[in-house]
Amino acid sequence: MLEKGKINGRQFTVLVIMFTTGSSLLLAPSMLSSEAKQDAWLAAILGVVVGVLLAWLYQSLGKLYSDMTLVEYSEKILGKWIGKAVSLLFFTFSFLLAALVLRNIGDFITTQFMPETPIQSIHIIFLIIVMMGTRHGLETIARSGEILFPLFIVFFLLLVILASPQIEVEKIQPILENGINPILRSTLLFIGFPFLELVIFLMIFPYVNKPKEAGKALFIGTWMGGVIITLLTALAILVEGPDYTTRNLYPSYYLAQKINIGNFLQRIEAIVAIMWFISIFYKLTICFYVSTLSLAQLLNLKEYRMLVFPLGMILIVLSIVSSPNIVYVVSIILNIWTSYALTFGLFLPLLLFGIVAVRRYVKPISEEKKR
Amino acid sequence: MIAILGILLVVIVIVIIEVPSLLKKGLKRELWVFGILLLFGTGLNIAQGLQIDLPNPLDWINVVYKPFSDFLFGLFK
Repeated sequence: MLEKGKINGRQFTVLVIMFTTGSSLLLAPSMLSSEAKQDAWLAAILGVVVGVLLAWLYQSLGKLYSDMTLVEYSEKILGKWIGKAVSLLFFTFSFLLAALVLRNIGDFITTQFMPETPIQSIHIIFLIIVMMGTRHGLETIARSGEILFPLFIVFFLLLVILASPQIEVEKIQPILENGINPILRSTLLFIGFPFLELVIFLMIFPYVNKPKEAGKALFIGTWMGGVIITLLTALAILVEGPDYTTRNLYPSYYLAQKINIGNFLQRIEAIVAIMWFISIFYKLTICFYVSTLSLAQLLNLKEYRMLVFPLGMILIVLSIVSSPNIVYVVSIILNIWTSYALTFGLFLPLLLFGIVAVRRYVKPISEEKKR
Repeated sequence: MIAILGILLVVIVIVIIEVPSLLKKGLKRELWVFGILLLFGTGLNIAQGLQIDLPNPLDWINVVYKPFSDFLFGLFK
C-alpha cells in the first residue's frame, strides 16, 4: 500500500467534521438564503438529512472493499481501462475541488484582511503548509486535527453563545412564505457543497484501522458537521435577517462583527477567521492529499510524496485560473457544482454498487447452471 | 523576467529535494511522472507569469453540465 499510516475512528470523525464545515462554514449561509430566504435553516436541515443518507451510501460502499481505496476498486469492478478513466476523472474532481477551496481562502483574505496583497502570495503561503502536511502523510494530518479540534469547537460554542442575545425571532417569519420549492433549490445547492464532496473520503476509508468504526465515524462526522452549519445559518438569519445574509458573502463572519456584550466585548470576528482557517486547512489538505494519492494509485506508482510539489505548482495556477472573479464563482460554479458533484458523489458510487450487486446475484445462478 | 527566474529557482529547489532520493531508490516510473508533471507545472506558471490567458477548465465543465443543471433546478421552479 502507498500509505502506510493508520488512523483511528475518532481521528476520522474529526477529519470528516472539519471537511464538512470546511469552506461551508462561511459560505453556506449566504448560499442557502439566496433561494430560500428566511427559510434557509429549513433547507439546511433537509440538506443534512440527505447528507447523512449519502454518508450511509459511502460507508456501505467502503465496507464492501474495506482494504482498498475508491481508485483501486473501481479498477477492479469496472475493468482496467474504464476503471482508469473513471479514476482519472475522480482525480480531476478532487484536484479542482482543492483549487476552488484554495481560492476561497485567497478571496476571503484579500477581501477582508489584506486587500492590497496579491492573491498568489497568499495561495503560495497557505499551500506550503498544506504540502508539508501532505508529505508527512495521513497519520500526521489526522493527529494534528485531533489537537486543533477542541479549539475549533470552543470557538464555535463561544460564537453561538455570544451571538444569541441578539436573536430576533421575527426575522425568520413568515415560515414557508413562498412554498417548498425555493427551499428545495437551496437544499440542492447545499447537498452539492459540501455533502457530495464527502465521496473523497472513500480514498481514506481503508486507512482507518477498524472498518466498522470508519463507517460510524463517517456518519457522526457528517451529522455533526451538518449541525454546525445549520446552527450557523439559523443564527445568521436570526441575527442579521435574510436580506443581509444573502447580500453578504461571509454572513457568519459578519455575525461575529455584530457581537456586542455590554459595549465591552466587541469585534470578535477574529475567532471566526481562526475557526475557518483551521477547518479549511483540513478540507484543503484532505482534497490535496486525496488527489496526490489517487494520481499515484492510478499510475501504479510506489510512492506519492514526490508528486506533492509538482501538483502544488499546478494547483497555484489552477486556483487563479479557475475563478476569474467573485461573480463567476457565485453565478457559474454554484449553478453547476451540484450536478458536477452528483456525477462523482452519487452516480459513481451507485454504479459501482449496482455492478457489484449484479455480479453477486448473477454469479450464483451461472454457477448453478454449470452443475 | 523576475517572475520567471523565481519560478525556475523554485523548480531547481524542488528537483534538489526530490530527485536524489528517487534515484537512490531506483524508482524510474516515479521519476518520469515527477518530471512530466513538474515540466507541465513550470510551463503553466511561466505562462501565468507572462500574463498569457490560460483556458479555464470550469468553462468546459459548465458547457457539459449546464443542460443537466438547468433541468435539475427546473424541477423545483
